Amino acid sequence: MHITVFQIIALSVYAFIGIYDALETDIGLSRPIFAGLFAGLVMGDVKLGLEVGATLQLMILGVGTYGGASIPDYMTAALLGTMFGVVSGQGLTFAIGLAVPIGLLLVNLDVLARFTNTIFQHKADKYALKGDIKGIERMNILGVLPWGLSRALPTFLACIFGSTICGTIVKDLPTWLMSGLKTSGGILPVVGIAILLRFLPAKRYIAYLIIGFIAAAYLKVPMVGVALAGLALAFIEYQKSEHNTKTLEGVTEDE
Amino acid sequence: MNNVIDSAKNSTVQPAASESKITQKDLRNVFIRWLLGGQIGWNYERMQGLSYCFSMIPVLKKLYKDPEDMKKALKLHLQFFNTSPFTAPMILGVDAALEEKEGMKSEDAIVGVKTGLMGPFAGIGDSIFGVIAGTVFGSIAAYMGQNGIATGVLIWFIYNLFRIGLTYWFIGAGYKQGVKIVANVGGKMKSLTSAANILGLTVVGALIPTVIKAQIPLVFTMGKVTMQLQSIFDQIMPCLIPVALVGSIYWLLGKKKMTSVKAIWIVLVLGIIFYNLKLLA
Repeated sequence: MHITVFQIIALSVYAFIGIYDALETDIGLSRPIFAGLFAGLVMGDVKLGLEVGATLQLMILGVGTYGGASIPDYMTAALLGTMFGVVSGQGLTFAIGLAVPIGLLLVNLDVLARFTNTIFQHKADKYALKGDIKGIERMNILGVLPWGLSRALPTFLACIFGSTICGTIVKDLPTWLMSGLKTSGGILPVVGIAILLRFLPAKRYIAYLIIGFIAAAYLKVPMVGVALAGLALAFIEYQKSEHNTKTLEGVTEDE
Repeated sequence: MNNVIDSAKNSTVQPAASESKITQKDLRNVFIRWLLGGQIGWNYERMQGLSYCFSMIPVLKKLYKDPEDMKKALKLHLQFFNTSPFTAPMILGVDAALEEKEGMKSEDAIVGVKTGLMGPFAGIGDSIFGVIAGTVFGSIAAYMGQNGIATGVLIWFIYNLFRIGLTYWFIGAGYKQGVKIVANVGGKMKSLTSAANILGLTVVGALIPTVIKAQIPLVFTMGKVTMQLQSIFDQIMPCLIPVALVGSIYWLLGKKKMTSVKAIWIVLVLGIIFYNLKLLA
């Protein structure tokens, strides 16, 4: 299948707006699953888009750019993975196999964007000396360009050369590698979960990790159900902790 | 954080004075600027510095009619700043109240409050709104998405709209309570964070058996008896392989010089090797 001009523009514009949303409004557009769904709609295969987005989403979950760290760009990866999956006609396995390396390689452009914005910061310093408010405002707004282009440009180029690249890959890539990549795709959420456990106080609250596991593995409770159970446990902890603080305060006041 | 609380107790800064120059509309403008432009100027040198200055401009225009004061203020706010984008409105609010009261006379106090607040608020904001919300809503959306259902995406979207409303409330709270907000909110935030962590970990516990697809296809044949390795593992515990994998990568990530990107490459390559050795499918 060939990609249309409309599709190329739609995916590139989404990539630009997506990274803006990640930085600012965060209504969710930068999440791989939103991007996958969008690419699925544009490319005419919603199910594939959702599946690609969901798989990539699980690799990243609550992992964010805390303190300015760069993380794999699975948003752009979900757009391109879905696009490649549809254009090549090879489906999910192929899409994931390409998306993961794409996401990892694009990290470098994230670093470049963050670096480029230093220029605007320095120009803003000069405007501040002159008391030029408009100038400072302009510098901050211009900052959106390195960010947006770091996502939109690779998307645009990949879409243009997409069908040629796909043809070559499909022809030349051996089955052992493609099927191997599928297996890798299945276990990659492991890394996302492990990173998350490093972020969270996993050792202190390991009991809750086990409770969640039992609910899903043995009792087959669906995810929303587990989240509700987690909410109940969290509420108990909150009340207990607030109660303790109050008692402590009471003691100090008596003294 | 304790220093901030102490200075809050001793501070002369009172909650917004009755004859305040800053209006609700100014605060709303600051919030909208932060919401739409609070991180686009992000750079390695001063991180959110440029965008913080950009967001404060409506308040600065109101307070500093003297051009020299304005220059001072612009320079001050262009300095290094970095916190969680979600809790930043609270700091903007506190800062606005402080500057309204003291103006550019108290540069040190402004810098002190900003740097004192950004650390603790980064921790709280990133863990509750970043890690936990991302985990819970991401898990639900991905779990449904893997089955081709988009409802989870919609749930996440609705939550995000709700969160934007909440962060708007933060700026008013910061302005009204001033530096005292740390003492008032700090304690509650600690309970909230541990509660949120529990919710997150419960969901992660459920994720391990549901989303990791890993089986061992290896079959032993001894004479007429065939033995599937997977069924033995299943008798010990369901999803033993996913649990073991998570454990190994968790351990690996604790190693020095190990980064998440390296870990992903390692798993990518090992997945291909193990598949071809028929150890994983």
